Amino acid sequence: MANVEDLLRTKGTQVWSVSPSATIADALKLMAEKNLGALVVVENELIVGVFSERDYARKAIAEDGFSLNTPIRNLMSTPVYYVTSSESVEECMALMTEKRIRHLPVIDCGRLVGLVSIGDIVKQSLSEMEKTIKDLEDYIWVHMI
Amino acid sequence: MANVSDLLELKGVTVWSVSSFTPVREALKLMADKKIGAVMVIQDGDIAGIFSERDFARKSISIPGFSMNSPVQTLMSSPVYYVLPNQSIEECMTLMTEKRVRHLPVLDENVLIGIISIGDVVKHLMQEKHATIQDLESYILKNVK
Repeated sequence: MANVEDLLRTKGTQVWSVSPSATIADALKLMAEKNLGALVVVENELIVGVFSERDYARKAIAEDGFSLNTPIRNLMSTPVYYVTSSESVEECMALMTEKRIRHLPVIDCGRLVGLVSIGDIVKQSLSEMEKTIKDLEDYIWVHMI
Repeated sequence: MANVSDLLELKGVTVWSVSSFTPVREALKLMADKKIGAVMVIQDGDIAGIFSERDFARKSISIPGFSMNSPVQTLMSSPVYYVLPNQSIEECMTLMTEKRVRHLPVLDENVLIGIISIGDVVKHLMQEKHATIQDLESYILKNVK
């Protein structure tokens, strides 16, 4: 079974981040430009939050006087749920399902080394299952028919 | 293989909608209340568009003079990609991936009868593949000499 490290090898380790004082407009522009659903919020090299489309949709209505100039820190999610690169794809899926989130930063020894999305996880799980089905069918053809 | 109407039978056929002139804030409140990622936009009994978290994130920065009071029609996606009740779940997945959308309304003779999300589709495909794997494994075990 694949783990997070395998996943990052395919998708790359590039992580886009913003500072908590950046405006919502800046964050959304970066997300649109890079075609992302979430950004990691970093301050003094520490991860202080995650800002996703879901955070924006849910919290913009709760924030008094919300505008596109509101700082990210007001709308980001914290604490941050994360995984390490040795964790399995199944563990990521379980955490995302339980916490109802679509993105997990990957942190090794305090260093941010990637970001995995629910799309990455689903794609990997489905292709592993398809491979298993094919292997089982091959086995039946070769050994049993 | 299951189709869209099988899926609707399991998840229910409730569709939440707003009108074209509903303020964005109200549409987002409805989405938060119902814990959903998109609402249909219905005007004079016809589908005018669909409004999702993704639309909010991408378009609130690109439309001039955006505010939380802007009518939802200025941010919605239109025309709307949809599926028919007899289409397969695989076809939904293909359309969602190709068009990069997370929700598809279901139309039956031009009447809106439900909406399916990428989450519904993925859950279903995983369960189906999981069942196939179990069937193949038990076939092999039963027939081992």
